[in-house]
Amino acid sequence: MAGLSLKSVKKRFGETEVIRGVDLDVRDGEFVVFVGPSGCGKSTLLRMIAGLETTTSGSIEIGGRDVTGEDPAKRGIAMVFQTYALYPHMTVATNMGFPLEMAKRPKDEIDRKVRDAAKILHLEQYLERKPRELSGGQRQRVAIGRAIVRQPGVFLFDEPLSNLDAELRVQMRIEIAKLHQDLGTTMIYVTHDQVEAMTLADKIVVLRAGRIEQVGAPLELYENPDNAFVAGFIGSPRMNFVPATVKSAQGNVAVVTAPKVGLSEVAVTTRGTPPAPGSDVSIGIRPEHFVPAEGAAAVLSGKITIVERLGGVAYAHAQIEDGNTITVESRDAREFTAGATTRFGIDPKRAFLFDKDGRRA
Amino acid sequence: MKRSWRQASALYGGLAALALIIGLPFWWVVTGSIKLPREIIQREPTMIPHSFTLQHFEKLLQASDFPVYLLNSVIVAVFSTAFTVLLALPAAYAFFRMEFPGRNTLYRTILLAYAFPGVVVLIPLYGLFAKVGLIDSPVALVIVNVALALPFSIWMMRSFLATVPREIEEAAVVDGAPTTTILLRILMPLIAPGIASVAIFAFISSWTEYLFASVLIVSDARRTIPVGFAGIIGQYQIDWGLLLAGATAAIVPVVALFAFIGRWFVSGLTEGAVK
Amino acid sequence: MKNTTLAFLFVSPALLFLLAVLGWPLVQAVILSFQDVGVIGSEGHFIGLDNYAAVLGGGGFWYAFGRSIVWVLGNAIVQTALALATALILNQKFPGVKIARTWVILTWIVPTVVVVIIWRWLLSTSGGMINPLLVQAGIVERPVGFFSGRDSAMASLVLINSWRWFPFTALMMLAGLTRIPGDLYEAARIDGAGTWQRFKRITWPLLQPTLMVLGVVGTLLSFNVFDVIWLLTAGGPSGGTQTLPVLIYETAFKGYRLSEAATISVLTSILLMGFAFLTTRAMTATEASR
Repeated sequence: MAGLSLKSVKKRFGETEVIRGVDLDVRDGEFVVFVGPSGCGKSTLLRMIAGLETTTSGSIEIGGRDVTGEDPAKRGIAMVFQTYALYPHMTVATNMGFPLEMAKRPKDEIDRKVRDAAKILHLEQYLERKPRELSGGQRQRVAIGRAIVRQPGVFLFDEPLSNLDAELRVQMRIEIAKLHQDLGTTMIYVTHDQVEAMTLADKIVVLRAGRIEQVGAPLELYENPDNAFVAGFIGSPRMNFVPATVKSAQGNVAVVTAPKVGLSEVAVTTRGTPPAPGSDVSIGIRPEHFVPAEGAAAVLSGKITIVERLGGVAYAHAQIEDGNTITVESRDAREFTAGATTRFGIDPKRAFLFDKDGRRA
Repeated sequence: MKRSWRQASALYGGLAALALIIGLPFWWVVTGSIKLPREIIQREPTMIPHSFTLQHFEKLLQASDFPVYLLNSVIVAVFSTAFTVLLALPAAYAFFRMEFPGRNTLYRTILLAYAFPGVVVLIPLYGLFAKVGLIDSPVALVIVNVALALPFSIWMMRSFLATVPREIEEAAVVDGAPTTTILLRILMPLIAPGIASVAIFAFISSWTEYLFASVLIVSDARRTIPVGFAGIIGQYQIDWGLLLAGATAAIVPVVALFAFIGRWFVSGLTEGAVK
Repeated sequence: MKNTTLAFLFVSPALLFLLAVLGWPLVQAVILSFQDVGVIGSEGHFIGLDNYAAVLGGGGFWYAFGRSIVWVLGNAIVQTALALATALILNQKFPGVKIARTWVILTWIVPTVVVVIIWRWLLSTSGGMINPLLVQAGIVERPVGFFSGRDSAMASLVLINSWRWFPFTALMMLAGLTRIPGDLYEAARIDGAGTWQRFKRITWPLLQPTLMVLGVVGTLLSFNVFDVIWLLTAGGPSGGTQTLPVLIYETAFKGYRLSEAATISVLTSILLMGFAFLTTRAMTATEASR
């Protein structure tokens, strides 16, 4: 078992810098999830930790040992790939035992460890099969099994569930969470699915364009995002952003207006000193944080264009008066009517304020 | 998907034409080899032999060194194939996956080999082989055949390697497999059809090679089938029965070989090529 | 780095081998072209560009060059047409398609000399198969001497060589065809495109890259064909099928003018490399503009 530490890690492919200085500390036993839009560098960063990509500058430490230039096999890591990367011509048992075989472990030890791992993953009766005779979920388990037998200090997962169908994905997600509970090993998990990130992580690392935007526990990121990007990326459906102007500021409360959409004088609590009066800001409101219009401190009105009814909840997509579209959630699936002009109440206590560069105010 | 009768007739008409264009000449030659001489040259040709004789084959065995040619051809082809595969596989892997200075330039230069007529290298090569005493030796033919097959084989092998997902190699790297192990234990089994294709290509190009064999081999006992037969064709009086029997005898080994591994070759050619 | 050493270890056997067996003789051929060697093994002296002046000034080279162009063009047209039709057929689904795909290449796997025997006999004026059939069908009165006229010999050779090579080309095209996703055709059908329109608007444009590569490789390969021509006509009648490789062979091994042959070789190679260079550059240019 091992912790992990990245120090100003950079990666350059020719002229383009894909990882632009990442500092990160992962405690031993932590489950860390890298999320971000495609092209943010999350997979590259994981592959750099694995040693599959070289590190242009900076250093990577695993278990207190500098492994920056080390061979992947000698880093004390194991990796589960998106496409599972099972060896198609080898049986499940040979696949799982391969890393031990490469480490020249004695045969009876390999057999024992493979059997132990197969038991954990319910693969006992498939040990003599070839990967092509297995279902997607079973292949995924074999890939995890191949990682387990090495007893690595750190598990690396590269979008491991994205090739599975929706139902299996939920099931495997739970299995991976259980595995982490049982083994207690450090795990680093890359995904673009924020639901996976929220449910699995002890700590989420949000990446954008090769930089860390914010690191924190899932709820911390949800309740207290550092910037509009993180606020928009964590939470589903996305947070709504309404452009506004600061009218006055006092203490850590800013009073903002958005006359174009009929908002006057909404008092939003800020983290620190609010932006100066007159500056452009945006108000962030999550779809699930709208309140009934009656008695609300502020009200947005818009014409509902589309209603998505999921059963338990419904989402209305409404065009507000400045032409932008907002998404509103309701627990009452019959509340919204397409085509109707509707008033949506805002709870200023649950609204966020971002300055014009997207930084949390 | 249902075809209209026009599409169906175009398809099956085309297939029939194809079968005739390719099959008919072979049919005529093979059946001709068992016809009596007078049926071979009679004015009204027969589609199905009216006579049966093995006299041409007997003559082939007695009058010419056919078994010797056959043996020579097999020996040269087997060794050429083995060396081609042995040289092509590591080279293709290096060109495909490993990084070294001049990789792309070298790869393109190798393929340039086919821009030269074979005759160009034949002249100096003859001199070289004469100096080291390899004229009239099957070793010379193996050397030449490997060189002729190698560039295409490397290209073919490389496109087969490209069909293996990169993640499988990476998994092996993470699992601690050294490069040679990855090549031997992971990639080689996975591209077995590709290796078979390359081997068949090498075998066939050696089996059919005429130009170098005709110049580098002097004595009759060392000739391969193409040259040996060319000798018979060149004889003053053409004995068609003998030639047809010879042709048939030269077709049979490759056809037999192809019946076993032809599918590998063709699927390999169509799946691995042009990537 | 350690990996670079290993990479060189992997490529060097093949590279050194090719360098010795193909590279070195090429250099020798160039050297030879500046000398006056006659019979193989005899000593030569440096004579500068005399050989080049003689070859380029004489008619033999240019005549053979012309025959080579006819040969290459003829092969390109016949082979492309036959191969494309064959590839389109083999790309369909029908019972036995795998067998057809395998055995179509039969003409390519038999030795050239067998191809030569087959066609010499089939096209023979005494006996044979084609002539009696033509006479029987009343298309001709007397057996045709396919190899007796310059142009008919050339045409016959082009057809025979195409017969040998078109299945191989067809399989390469088939490789390109199978790479065109099937749902494109389904989408086009739903959009109302007929068979011909689907070919014209989907197959043909998407097959272009494959056809271009085959065009270049095929041209080089057929340009360098020697054995079929040599064994069937030996360049005759009266030089009608004397392409450049045949001329080189004759000059070296029948005329015993080794240096002159080397000169023609070098000139031929320059032509072919120029062709390969220009076409591949044009190809990368069209690819980039897409």
